[in-house]
Amino acid sequence: MPLKYAYHPGNVSHSSAPEVNDTMMPIAKSLGIELTILEGATSCGAGIMRQANNRLQLTLNARTFAMAESLGLDIMTPCAATAGNLNEDLQTLIGNNILLAEINSILMKTCGLKFNGAVKVHHLLHVLVDEIGLEKIELKVKNPLNFMIAGYYGPNMQQTGMCGDDDVYDPSYLEKLIQSIGGIPVEWGSRTKSVGVPGLLSEEPTVLLQSANVILDAKDEGAQLIVSACNLSHTIMDIYQGKASRIVERPINIPIMHLTEMIDFAFGHHNTRLAQLRTRISVIGN
Amino acid sequence: MSDARSLLILYGSQSGNSEEIAINAGKFSSKNNLNPIVRAMDEVTVPDIISQTRILICCSTWGDGEQPDNAEDLWEAVNSADITSLNNINFSVLALGDSSYDLYCESGKEWDNWFESKGANRIYPRVDCDVDFEEPAKLWMEQSILKMSEITVDSGVEITIPENKISKNSDVIDNSVSEKLDVLTSDNIEDFLHEGDRELAVLFGSQSGNSEDLASKIVKEATKYGLNGKVYDMDGLDFNTLRNHKRVLIVCSTWGEGEMPDNAEELWKSASDDAAPKFNKTNYSVLSLGDSSYELFCQSGKDWDIRFDELGANRLVTRVDCDVDYEALATEWTFNALTSMAAVDETGNFHESKLNSIKQFVSGADTVGASGDDSFSISSLISEKLQVEVSIFRYDPQTNSTGKDTWLCSLPGNMSVLEVLRSIKSTHDGTLTFRDGVTDDPNTAISINGRLILPGTISLDSIYSPQIGKLKLTIEPLPCFTVIRDLLVDTWALERARETSEPWMISATREGKNTSQGTIGIMSQSEASYLHSIKDFQSSILLHASSDATPFSESYVGPSNIVSAWARRNDSRISKTKKNEIDKYIGSIQGINSETDLSSIRRQESNNLSISDALLDARTMALSQSSFSGRHGKHVWWYTWSIKSSGKVNDTVLFRQVLGPLGLLSNLFSGVTARMLLGFTRTGGNMINDGLGMVLPPAGIGKMPKQFNSSINNHHEVIAIFNELDGRF
Repeated sequence: MPLKYAYHPGNVSHSSAPEVNDTMMPIAKSLGIELTILEGATSCGAGIMRQANNRLQLTLNARTFAMAESLGLDIMTPCAATAGNLNEDLQTLIGNNILLAEINSILMKTCGLKFNGAVKVHHLLHVLVDEIGLEKIELKVKNPLNFMIAGYYGPNMQQTGMCGDDDVYDPSYLEKLIQSIGGIPVEWGSRTKSVGVPGLLSEEPTVLLQSANVILDAKDEGAQLIVSACNLSHTIMDIYQGKASRIVERPINIPIMHLTEMIDFAFGHHNTRLAQLRTRISVIGN
Repeated sequence: MSDARSLLILYGSQSGNSEEIAINAGKFSSKNNLNPIVRAMDEVTVPDIISQTRILICCSTWGDGEQPDNAEDLWEAVNSADITSLNNINFSVLALGDSSYDLYCESGKEWDNWFESKGANRIYPRVDCDVDFEEPAKLWMEQSILKMSEITVDSGVEITIPENKISKNSDVIDNSVSEKLDVLTSDNIEDFLHEGDRELAVLFGSQSGNSEDLASKIVKEATKYGLNGKVYDMDGLDFNTLRNHKRVLIVCSTWGEGEMPDNAEELWKSASDDAAPKFNKTNYSVLSLGDSSYELFCQSGKDWDIRFDELGANRLVTRVDCDVDYEALATEWTFNALTSMAAVDETGNFHESKLNSIKQFVSGADTVGASGDDSFSISSLISEKLQVEVSIFRYDPQTNSTGKDTWLCSLPGNMSVLEVLRSIKSTHDGTLTFRDGVTDDPNTAISINGRLILPGTISLDSIYSPQIGKLKLTIEPLPCFTVIRDLLVDTWALERARETSEPWMISATREGKNTSQGTIGIMSQSEASYLHSIKDFQSSILLHASSDATPFSESYVGPSNIVSAWARRNDSRISKTKKNEIDKYIGSIQGINSETDLSSIRRQESNNLSISDALLDARTMALSQSSFSGRHGKHVWWYTWSIKSSGKVNDTVLFRQVLGPLGLLSNLFSGVTARMLLGFTRTGGNMINDGLGMVLPPAGIGKMPKQFNSSINNHHEVIAIFNELDGRF
């Protein structure tokens, strides 16, 4: 029986991080995961929209849950921020019957939908480790990524009840996954630290320092490559790398890639991109 | 002079301070199941010391580092005596002195060094007190006595310290230490628990049936301890035959005004008789049930306890008096009582030395707690030993060197992390620096494996994962403070920030309410609950450290100050002026908008969810009051607006609207735009994702890979939801 999920691609895979979408589908095909794209799903809010109006974000996400529920599917996303935000709202709704009833009445009035609470939200990482299994992934590897790889989780999905059987504070799923695709996992402390995504445009100096320190920690521990489980963090650590480097006055060049890219390359897809990556690691690397 | 629970407390005193502390220590140790012997140093001899297993020393220093008058003779005697080893003695020293003298606390130090040189086991590090000695002396007294109470006579701690491996070329020191507790093997204890007469009499005196139920459950549980329990209704029981029992447990409720329950009255008459027989061979304990709303609370149980004592029976476990919610206390008493009863042999002698072994044996049994429909189970208070690798961050300010020390230990799972630190400090490295305190002292906060905690509240087995096997503890100082030494951080900046937040209430003039206590101001229950919930954080430094933004933002006052201000702001008693001041403070440049990511606070289990919800509410208020102005307001506004527009984020619009032309220009020259476009390090497909972005409006220079969003399916539903809930967008 193939695994089936309703697919939420995250907030920026249609724009700033198209490589996530490019590489997600080949992985799903290789592993026999059947993805039903939620074409009507909105942004999860990324912890930003709820600052303006928490109930608005709850209602929009309840709509997404209701759509998945009507398909009889759980939601899967490759973005840690989306997994975290959706799970936070899911827990809020399930834990408060009065609130759920109020939001359902708005959903019914505006969309004709009702959410009954029968949906779970998973991050791709937890599906890979808990549902697919590392042994099966090892069998699929064609191009072992034999680099020193630092796995970045971010804080959003590292909350109780949101990260499968992994430890909230001292996780190991990414490290196990890196090993299974032939990489050498780096032990580092900042892997669950925030790089300040929701504050990027408003608190840029702080965010750049946060981002630079996370990257530096990985580099100091010998990483040649950082792989991120979060679309947004991945984008910030990548795009703002030069600017962050100037703030801390230290070179912090290091290739950043998303989890989906790592698995995709290891499975033998997008070989030219893997070639680019190998070149960059040898030229730019640490 | 010594028995299995005795504690010798010696004082060497000139002014009387040491004597006062020793007397208080005696009182406190009595409460902790120890038999204290408080003596001046001129009242004991060297053999008195040698025969002890537990000794506390309180000693002042006189003149130029001299022993006080009443300690001089003993000090000379111990130094001239031929003593080779005191490795059976557990000790701790409190030194009193005056730091204005060169040889500060010298006498105490001498006693401390002497015991150490003779191989005695320092169970708690020496504390040197200056003239303001009260607080440190109290802490020493409590902690050292608690340690003493945990020691059983034949279970001292044996420690072996392999050769230290110190790398001269690095800052990393690797110590390997194994710590063993001397316990009987499980085979021996199993034999002991099944040899000879193992009968246990459980008597109940019951009016409502609770005592009877408990007695039945205790008997059921007793089988795990190798005991053959039998329930006896007090009604009809011959008191004279009871003296033949070696093990007796009494569960008795109290009726009316301190009276025996009906079924216990006759037996009590027999017991109270002057001609009642002696119970010299009987070991007993009493569980007393009652209702504290009555004046003579648990009186019947107290009567039985006193009477058995008068008749010469041996009280093994202190009586426990239970109120109407008796389950938890009864469970704990049952565990202790059955363990002690199990340590009574067939001749009626009690073997205290076997208690730990019995606890371990029982906790290792296949089933924990009685099974069945009664949902009654015994808490597992003692955990098995765990193999623990403890790595502690070290920083030496004198050499400005940092590193990590690692110890390999075998430790009981119920040991708290704070106790682990104390143990390492007292037995292996006295230079280890951390904040010590009572169990939930908010200033003790540290980081363990990325989890921010109060170390006294976390036991090893609560963070142990059986799948991994060995437990690895990485202990570090809180992340956002300057480290003074090792795990000790400087919280001064936070205190200064709190000071500048003017953390006080200015109340509005308001009408009071007439109550039976007079005219007082009142608050609704829901408001009080809300205010309590958002102020219910374990530690302000811990909450401060849980924000990943605080280490990198100099102006940010941090979440603990914000949430405290938010609580005051929402207190209905506050004046309008003060409320406005707090609103300005929260919305200022140092306020909530400086927090870059609330999820880092929300994920720490030590912070309840009400706190992160309150911070979110504070931010929503600040945004609303500023009409979404400034970069932060624009960010939130345009993010939300773009979702209404298409259902997806439009980062092109977002960058352009928030950063403005100058910001976009800055990104162009800083390389940000180039990386967006070219995928400089990112492994994107197209080198130029969308060349149109460079030239066509509206994105202009800040073009993100995709300029226009296609709308999601059924986009009209999103607009309808927006219109329903928030007409501002």
